[in-house]
Amino acid sequence: MKALLRSTPLYMILPSLALALLIIGYPIVDLAWTSMQEVSRFGQMRGFNGIENYADVFNDPLFYGSLWRTVIWTVAVVAGTLIVSLPIAIILNDDFYGRGLARVIVMLPWAISLTMTAVVWRWGLNGRAGLLNATLMDLHIIAEPIEWLATAPLAFTVEILVGILVSIPFTTTIFLGGLSSLPQDAYEASTVDGATGWDQFRFITLPLMKPFINIAVVLNVIYVFNSLPIIWVMTEGGPANGTDILVTYLYKLAFRFGAIGKAAAISLIMFFVLFVFTTIYVLMVMRAEQGEQEDKALEEEDEVETTLSHVTAILERAR
Amino acid sequence: MNKLKKSIIYWVLLSPLAVVILFPFGVMFVTAFRPRDELFVYPPTWTFSRFVWGNFVEMWSKTNFGGALVNSLYVSVAATVIALVFSIPAAYALSRHRFAGKGLYRQFLLVTQMMSPIVLVLGLFRLMVQMGLVNNLNSLVITYAAFYMAFTIWMLQSYFNTIPKDLEEAAWIDGATHFTSLVKVFLPLAVPAMVVTAIFTFINSWNEFVLALTMIRSSDQYTLPVQIYSQVAGRYQVEWHHVMAATVLATVPVAIVFSWLQRYLIRGMALGAVK
Repeated sequence: MKALLRSTPLYMILPSLALALLIIGYPIVDLAWTSMQEVSRFGQMRGFNGIENYADVFNDPLFYGSLWRTVIWTVAVVAGTLIVSLPIAIILNDDFYGRGLARVIVMLPWAISLTMTAVVWRWGLNGRAGLLNATLMDLHIIAEPIEWLATAPLAFTVEILVGILVSIPFTTTIFLGGLSSLPQDAYEASTVDGATGWDQFRFITLPLMKPFINIAVVLNVIYVFNSLPIIWVMTEGGPANGTDILVTYLYKLAFRFGAIGKAAAISLIMFFVLFVFTTIYVLMVMRAEQGEQEDKALEEEDEVETTLSHVTAILERAR
Repeated sequence: MNKLKKSIIYWVLLSPLAVVILFPFGVMFVTAFRPRDELFVYPPTWTFSRFVWGNFVEMWSKTNFGGALVNSLYVSVAATVIALVFSIPAAYALSRHRFAGKGLYRQFLLVTQMMSPIVLVLGLFRLMVQMGLVNNLNSLVITYAAFYMAFTIWMLQSYFNTIPKDLEEAAWIDGATHFTSLVKVFLPLAVPAMVVTAIFTFINSWNEFVLALTMIRSSDQYTLPVQIYSQVAGRYQVEWHHVMAATVLATVPVAIVFSWLQRYLIRGMALGAVK
């Protein structure tokens, strides 16, 4: 028994496994079960009703509206974040005066919770006294204050921009990690061959950064598509459900309208979407780890080769 | 291109982003010190007549900021301690042992790390109802510990891997048992890693919103993010100078610590240990 314990450190793993299964595993099972029950407003189960909740979801125009906005929200935030973050990372990776300060500023949004950021922006965008209006009026860009959050299309656009802003630090960090691992000699060699900065970016940086870009896309999609605080705090999905994405709609169904069965069905649908992206992420991590091991093996081979060529060189000189 | 010229170009390129990033901080400070009757002036302006430090005192006494601060501290410290107590042995096992199902366990961790509370929030709420923990801060302690555990295990494991095995082996040769070598040799070396991981878990718990909004029903149990949100949401008149004063107090200390430690996050992120 003692030998078994020593060889299989299960007792070290089990507590964490048990906690995760209780808090993360059990709710999934419960949601799956609830999504197939008729549930009263007060959470009482009235019996099995098969796929009725799912049928309800798929007949709901608000669901399709929220789904469509979730797609726009996710694609716009992730794409915007990547387009801004890559140049920023390239700049921050280079040596220039004030780089330390620049890094701190770029990383600042990460240090503050999404809730607080959204609360501050809600006030900064206030239609009457907001300081964004103050700034734009001082600069004579606008003559009258704008009600940024009063109409859905404008509010949603602003929320996407705030979403991009808060995703930049994390994405830039991934890219900085990638950039620091790029081989310097490739750049030096290409400079000798007369490559311009743009050529280097297109033919060296971009291809070599591809794995990091992929990871950044997948992780951002996971984080952004189920991010609630920004939209919830700034507009609560309003006006008139015009900025609702799936998570805000789900939250309203569950905790405002008491549509428990339907909310459970949407949760489960979202869980499967999340699971698909998570699986992609896990596969990417596993592949990266394998690649690392192969790299190590290759390096060892290289060592053997250099030793061999060294030996040959000595022999040649001797001859 | 010399360095000075390059620096100027880079700062010009970065400046629009820097302005947008710093804008909310400006809003926060300018409003927190503003006299109440200058909140809604037309045309809106950045300037104001005098600094009102009293906003902070007034906010503290009128909005139960102190209570929410204590709640947030309790939840974040307890969640961090529990997460670490569960993570340290697991991370040690991953770093030092080979065992059946190790790959599977690592995949399980990656999946739980990506699980977001919002997708499970309804199921979690029903679980807490059954456990009788609704409106109890301990519901948050357990859930935060469970959700951030995957992150702490990844972080700790990547640090543990950098601690040479030779030291423990030397202790074994000197007759120490596995347990004593763990407690007397390994853990002291791992203290910096544990501190950094603990701080990140603390900050994550400190900032969490969705679960706190859901599980906590009465205002005397609110954590800071929910307490501040409740002063803004669904109110006809929002005391913005109080809200911004509260935001300054709740975020600035954490932001300073985070900015200081952020380089460790980059290091520990090597394998999926993010956010």
